[in-house]
Amino acid sequence: MAAETARKFEALEAQAQKIMQVFIKAGHEAVSPAILQPAGVFLDVIGENLRARTYVFTDPDGAELCLRPDLTVPTCRLHIERNGDPATKGRYCYNGPAFRFQPVGADSAHPREFRQAGIESISDTDREKADAQTVALILNAMRAAGLKNHMLRIGDLGLFRALIKAIDMPDRWRQFLTHLFWRPDAFRAELHRLARPAEESLKDIPAELRASIVPGDVARSERAVVDYLAANSIEAMGTRTVTEVAINLMWRLADAKSDPLPPETVTLIERYLAISGPAKAAGACLKDLLRDRGVTMNPVIDAYHRRLQLMTDMGVDVVHAEFSAEFGRQLEYYTGFVFEVISPDLGPESPLAGGGRYDDLMRAAGAKRNVPAVGAAIHTERLLSVVQGGAA
Amino acid sequence: MTEKLLLAVPSKGRLMEQTIEIFANAGLTLRKTGNERGYRGEVAGLDTVEVAFISASEIAWYLKTGRAHMGVTGEDLIREQISDASDRVTFLKALGFGHADVVVAVPNYWIDVRSMADLDEIAATFRREHGRWFRVATKYINTTRRFFAEKGVIDYRIIESLGATEGAPAAGTADLIVDITSTGATLAANGLRILDDGIILKSEANLVASKVANWSPAARQAENEIMQALGI
Repeated sequence: MAAETARKFEALEAQAQKIMQVFIKAGHEAVSPAILQPAGVFLDVIGENLRARTYVFTDPDGAELCLRPDLTVPTCRLHIERNGDPATKGRYCYNGPAFRFQPVGADSAHPREFRQAGIESISDTDREKADAQTVALILNAMRAAGLKNHMLRIGDLGLFRALIKAIDMPDRWRQFLTHLFWRPDAFRAELHRLARPAEESLKDIPAELRASIVPGDVARSERAVVDYLAANSIEAMGTRTVTEVAINLMWRLADAKSDPLPPETVTLIERYLAISGPAKAAGACLKDLLRDRGVTMNPVIDAYHRRLQLMTDMGVDVVHAEFSAEFGRQLEYYTGFVFEVISPDLGPESPLAGGGRYDDLMRAAGAKRNVPAVGAAIHTERLLSVVQGGAA
Repeated sequence: MTEKLLLAVPSKGRLMEQTIEIFANAGLTLRKTGNERGYRGEVAGLDTVEVAFISASEIAWYLKTGRAHMGVTGEDLIREQISDASDRVTFLKALGFGHADVVVAVPNYWIDVRSMADLDEIAATFRREHGRWFRVATKYINTTRRFFAEKGVIDYRIIESLGATEGAPAAGTADLIVDITSTGATLAANGLRILDDGIILKSEANLVASKVANWSPAARQAENEIMQALGI
């Protein structure tokens, strides 16, 4: 448990003060979002990985609430509540408890109650600069708290999105692949499904239905579905409408009429996902991969290099940073740059801090539109244990 | 407390009858002590064993917490109620009764959804059209989460259902279900169909030992005698 002794609590508080001072001095406003949060918002945005680890309960009025599993979503909600329009700039910092069920039992490196100290920058439109500032500030704060050795891991989901966009394929397939990015096994299965000839993906649809669905004509397709249901005495029920069923079948047929993904495209995507190594070399690796394929995505690669340069200018040791294209696949709401600070003592399974860009989170958290946003948080118990020199 | 082995067995219905029968065939007579409706019992001739007749779902909890040393209950209940089952219990023997499959079933009317991958495909559209993720009614919350995650389906909400789950889609309280079925007849009668890859677990009654119970030498000895009788 967190701060189970008064002495440890005091040490954590003293450390938090040092961290918060660095955040506040850099222009971040200290906030204390609510610990109890409406469950719906979280359950929709945080992804299954974290969802199964969130303490959810029903209050006496029947409202579904949760103990916040992190402070990013609560801070976004606070920003929306204050400003209405999320496009108002906001730079926040916080230090407070978060709660996660630990399926194999809590231990000191994986407590179920822990204190996060973090920052969020909302609506800063210079993305690379805001990303670099976030990393630099988190590292400065950790150094102020006494951290000496660390390793930086970075990833960039923006590169993946740009790659998928640059490759010629139906838009719906891009949506599938982006949607599945966080689930490596399902992603691989889908990638290979899209590379197979059409008939195979249609064998599940009854032949008479296949013949009467007309891609592009909703009314006729809907009639075909209604006729099929009547002929087979199947009753429509539940929330999903006949129109939805018909449109989905139309899409499936349209997909099947598109050429399958060529094998070299599948290889390209798989080779991209396999890129892993020094952060400074990753851009060149990617360019090499793309050169022979006639695929260009220079603006995004340039943005990647610009961010590295900005980080260097801000005093971040980029030379020893590691890039992995797969990194970020566990963290559903991130959309671009992601990073983790690893300590040699605790290893990559227990990062000391982590964060990234989440440009799609604002709407899910209740705003009318999305705005650029980036943030990161320090796992303060782990930081303390490393700084104090004891293994956690 | 005694040093005796506590054996937890189902307290009613076919599960109880078949459990008693399996033990009887192995030469072990389970009987209730005190009045007929009581929940305490014994194994004739084995005075180091105490029997608790309790509900099948409570048996999983007894084994998980180590209150019982051994128990007879469905694998589905163990898997659902003990997230770290392999650390806490040992499956000693599948007993050949109490067969039931835990399955994912959707309205038969969803003619475009045959597999878990199809289900994932409609998730985003469903949300756009109805302003919410689709809902899965079930009492197998952990089992559902694990299976859906394994299949890469994450955009859904679970609605806890404590009875008549198969009626939830028709009633509009959920869009699909995860439930147990033995013949599939109840599902069909409710206009539901099992997804092609929607069988989560083929469950049956199992003899299960708790790894976290307090195993006295007498309890170990009793366990050996029971296992020998049952041919394990």
